[in-house]
Amino acid sequence: MRAASETSLRHLIPPEFLEPNWRFWSFVMISILGTVLILLYKVPVFDGLTDPFYTPTVLILPLVVLFRLTCYAYRKDYHRHLFNHPNGCATDVRLDSKKRGYSGETGFFRVENVHRYFMYTAWAILPFFFYDVYVSIVYTGAITVTLGTIILAVNAVAVTTYTFSCHSVRHLIGGYKDCVNCPANLNKKNSLYRLQSRLNGHHEAIAWTSLIMFVFVDLFIRGMIGGVIPNIVLIHSGL
Amino acid sequence: MDTVKVSVFRRDPAVEKEGKFVDYEVPREDGMVVLDAMKYIERHLDPSMSLRWNCSAGKCGSCSAEINHKPSLMCKTRVDSLKGDKIKVAPMAAFPLIKDLVTDVSENWALLKKIPKFTPKEGLEKPWRISQVDIERSKEFKKCIECFLCQDVCHVIRDHSTDYFGPRHVVKAASLDMHPLDTLNRSEFMNKDAGLGYCNITKCCSEVCPEEIHITDNAIIPEKERAVNISYDPIAMFLRSRKQRRAKA
Repeated sequence: MRAASETSLRHLIPPEFLEPNWRFWSFVMISILGTVLILLYKVPVFDGLTDPFYTPTVLILPLVVLFRLTCYAYRKDYHRHLFNHPNGCATDVRLDSKKRGYSGETGFFRVENVHRYFMYTAWAILPFFFYDVYVSIVYTGAITVTLGTIILAVNAVAVTTYTFSCHSVRHLIGGYKDCVNCPANLNKKNSLYRLQSRLNGHHEAIAWTSLIMFVFVDLFIRGMIGGVIPNIVLIHSGL
Repeated sequence: MDTVKVSVFRRDPAVEKEGKFVDYEVPREDGMVVLDAMKYIERHLDPSMSLRWNCSAGKCGSCSAEINHKPSLMCKTRVDSLKGDKIKVAPMAAFPLIKDLVTDVSENWALLKKIPKFTPKEGLEKPWRISQVDIERSKEFKKCIECFLCQDVCHVIRDHSTDYFGPRHVVKAASLDMHPLDTLNRSEFMNKDAGLGYCNITKCCSEVCPEEIHITDNAIIPEKERAVNISYDPIAMFLRSRKQRRAKA
């Protein structure tokens, strides 16, 4: 960690460009790209593959966006890189912090406390991703597994893993309990809580992976429509 | 002779209004840590320099300082791990300065006293028996060596005057809250009186912790989630009040 103030670039480049913040900027770029793609260049269902941006659940997309925006992983990103509270952990990266007002999550951002309700709406979207995988397998009337099917399946698993590695899930499935193996509550080993805690430790990385998967799948399907990428058939058998 | 250049913050508040960085050159040795360089300066170059250290092994939490702007233990920071041709060593800026690198961290003892004490269930048979699975969570927080680097790096403590106690104190509250034999829930106290809402999950405290306690993920966020149960989640609030009514009846 090196403070920007130590370099001669201090006054030329704002510190947010000198700290590792690629996850935040990729979120911004993906949000813009996603919006443009959804509004301007619509993709029909192609070869049985549904673009993840166009599942029927696009209707509740604002709620899913709110789920990501109130996520503990994304909070870190935008509080650091958009609001610069703080910009980085080097203690004097940005010397104006004292002068700017700060209310943390006590003012407007108190809304982050209902993260778990946005999470419930995100649960509702998950079955559609798996339904899209199912459709891509059976749309010909036979069982067909293509490269696209695999990619849709990986995307469905990634977004599911992201949703269930959430800190709110961790609280709900056992984090609220102080004791699982007390005399009143014998032999409950809370293995689900422990497994989820391990996933939760990688929540930030999973959040980014599942986000970038959307764009990857979208580009894959667009590439197929444009004839650039072949949809390789892996398994094909009649019913 | 190969040397290490060190720039150390010097100030005696009793006689000086402003501090300044003074440059020293210390002989380089294999595997030396920043504390070795500081001890050399104190013994051979300038005995008037004040620094605090005890165990030299990363377990007492005395030698906290800001090394190249990053709050770190001097005894755990190897000189060869630092980039640049000069090492900058400054005292923790979040606390009142006593002299040079020594700061007064006693405000933390007053804050710790405000957190409701361990309150075990009544009538428990002694000796208390606790399963490993139950003690693990609260045991992680017992690793805290009270170096207060997390308090120092926290931008809320450094830059803004709020009623937030700081990461160390949330860790303390979480270690008591998650204790299997404790009966209190401190999350409401932490949220209303200890300013937990001022934490915005930017995780610098976890980054600097020399004991690698997952301060944000394992202490702050669970405490926030517990506070949500009490103050923000209507379903949880309804279930809780129903449970309390039943317990009274």
